[in-house]
Amino acid sequence: MLELAVSTVTQGLIFALLSYGVYITYKILDFPDLTVDGSFPLGAAVTAVLLVNECNPFLTLIVAAAVGALAGFCTGFIHVKLKVRDLLAGIITMTALFSINLQIAGSNLAVGRNVDTIFTNPFISGLLGNMPLLYRKLIVALVLALVVKITLDFYFKTKNGLLLRAVGDNDALVTTLAKDKGWVKILGLVIANSLVALAGAVVCHEQRSFAATMGTGQIVFGLATVIIGTTLFRKMSFVKGTTAVMVGSILYKICIQIAISLGLPPNLLKLITAVLFLVILVIGNMEKGMVRKHA
Amino acid sequence: MMKMNMKKILCGAMGLMMCFSLAACGNGDNNDDKQQDGTEGKKYSIGISQYGEHASLDNCREGFLQGLKDAGLEEGKDFEVDYQNAGFDDNMTIQIGQNFSAKNVDMMVAVATNSATGCYAAAEDKNIPVIYTAINDPEAAGLTAGNATGTSDKLPVDAQLDLIRKLQPEAKTIGILYTTSEPNSVSTVADYQAKAADYGFTIEAVGVTAQAEVTQGADTLIKKGVDCFCNLTDNTVVGVLPSILEKTNEAGIPVYGSEVEQVKIGCVASAGIDYFELGRQTGAMAAKVLKGEATCDEIPFETITEYGIYLNNGALAEMQITVPSDIAEKAIVTDAE
Repeated sequence: MLELAVSTVTQGLIFALLSYGVYITYKILDFPDLTVDGSFPLGAAVTAVLLVNECNPFLTLIVAAAVGALAGFCTGFIHVKLKVRDLLAGIITMTALFSINLQIAGSNLAVGRNVDTIFTNPFISGLLGNMPLLYRKLIVALVLALVVKITLDFYFKTKNGLLLRAVGDNDALVTTLAKDKGWVKILGLVIANSLVALAGAVVCHEQRSFAATMGTGQIVFGLATVIIGTTLFRKMSFVKGTTAVMVGSILYKICIQIAISLGLPPNLLKLITAVLFLVILVIGNMEKGMVRKHA
Repeated sequence: MMKMNMKKILCGAMGLMMCFSLAACGNGDNNDDKQQDGTEGKKYSIGISQYGEHASLDNCREGFLQGLKDAGLEEGKDFEVDYQNAGFDDNMTIQIGQNFSAKNVDMMVAVATNSATGCYAAAEDKNIPVIYTAINDPEAAGLTAGNATGTSDKLPVDAQLDLIRKLQPEAKTIGILYTTSEPNSVSTVADYQAKAADYGFTIEAVGVTAQAEVTQGADTLIKKGVDCFCNLTDNTVVGVLPSILEKTNEAGIPVYGSEVEQVKIGCVASAGIDYFELGRQTGAMAAKVLKGEATCDEIPFETITEYGIYLNNGALAEMQITVPSDIAEKAIVTDAE
């Protein structure tokens, strides 16, 4: 039982990296970025190829984030410089990435158990002793999710980070500050998609495989986690957005695991998941109503 | 005020976690109870992870259970099945595998490649045996090392080309629709392209990326004037087979299936796999592993060597194809039910 909780929370923490990305585009920039469905498997494809060719596992994360950044730049460039609508710019990059991913890694690429991943390499094993793989995965995922979260929180407070938030809230302000809002938008997309690709890379390490289909529906997951997280913590301004979406991501994975564990007819899995989301959102809204009554 | 609010949220979150634990505990307890009333020895728990709901994959799973039965294992008495279906969602396959691992199942059974990947990754830590089926190329999927074995559903390309040649002696080009992201399809198309010349055919292959593009792909092939279509076991394409058949019937182009279910839907003929048999073969392997007669390392993955020839007489008559008597004799007629 504890194991199930551990592996589910680990999934939530890994996918939180993707949720951070979607949080930046959807919540901060107010930009519906569909690149995610392409940049997520892009990170995994690059990682799988590098791992198979015996690259250092930690280096693969950096490379994956870098190619993800490039994907984000493409969407930003298409939108800002070529003046294509935001949704369509994302769709164009996502569609192109589908083919590019196939070129990079083929339709499926497996990483054998003899290859060291970020969870199994000697450095981590040495650091954590003889801890079972399950818990090693949890700790590595937790460290990654927290390091990225803290870095982002810090970044949002810098001048550059504030500009990013201003573009989403009130872009006229950015122009009056004599800054080019277009480049700020591109920067946001670059950061967001590098995080999404990083998530793809970690999933590739964890699953030891890349599949061309693995990106399908990731934007839906990302949006759901951002909305679940921010709804739950709406009235608590001291809870940072990044924390909220991290919790959202974990809750999402828990919902799915509950649906699986209930042992209901497998074809009802998605329906159960949908009902659980609805319950969470309703609870989130109820909290809000009660607070008002008290106040 | 703020604190109170946070308490409530925490309560909510805790409640959710508890539900979660209860749900999972419930399952664990059930297994223990049932284990005790088993008459002899241990009651095995088997987790089956199927990639999606799909006639061939369903047949595979049912065949698998039949294979266990043939080996003298009775469901409910000797083993318990936890069947999960990922609905073609790759994230789901990960969590299903982890669910099985946490429940300490005695064996994970994966139907189709993506499910096998999820189970194999989840089984790594505890070295739970993974038995897979309906995988085209287990070697490429990295499933030949470690505690895993199973069956491959590699298509009998030679047999199919031979069948088409005999049914359509004048045909020159074969059209194939496939999904570029399905590894099975990509490797099978390459196989067809390599072997077609031996039978005097050329291959016109059209790759699609989504189900919505399949009918457009069919139009393209019809326009190119192919003499027939040849289906693979491509999940995306087979999913909309009826709408392809509608177009090809109108154009008078016969479509060959890759397995019996497709012939039932309306393809003219197929030299193909019976997925039920494939599952049964897998079940026999699983029984050996469960009983401790062999470990996965000792059993290499198997490929079906016997293929059936299936005919749909109604569809053949519509296309005015006459079946040579030597084929008709050994074929199984499976007209639409």
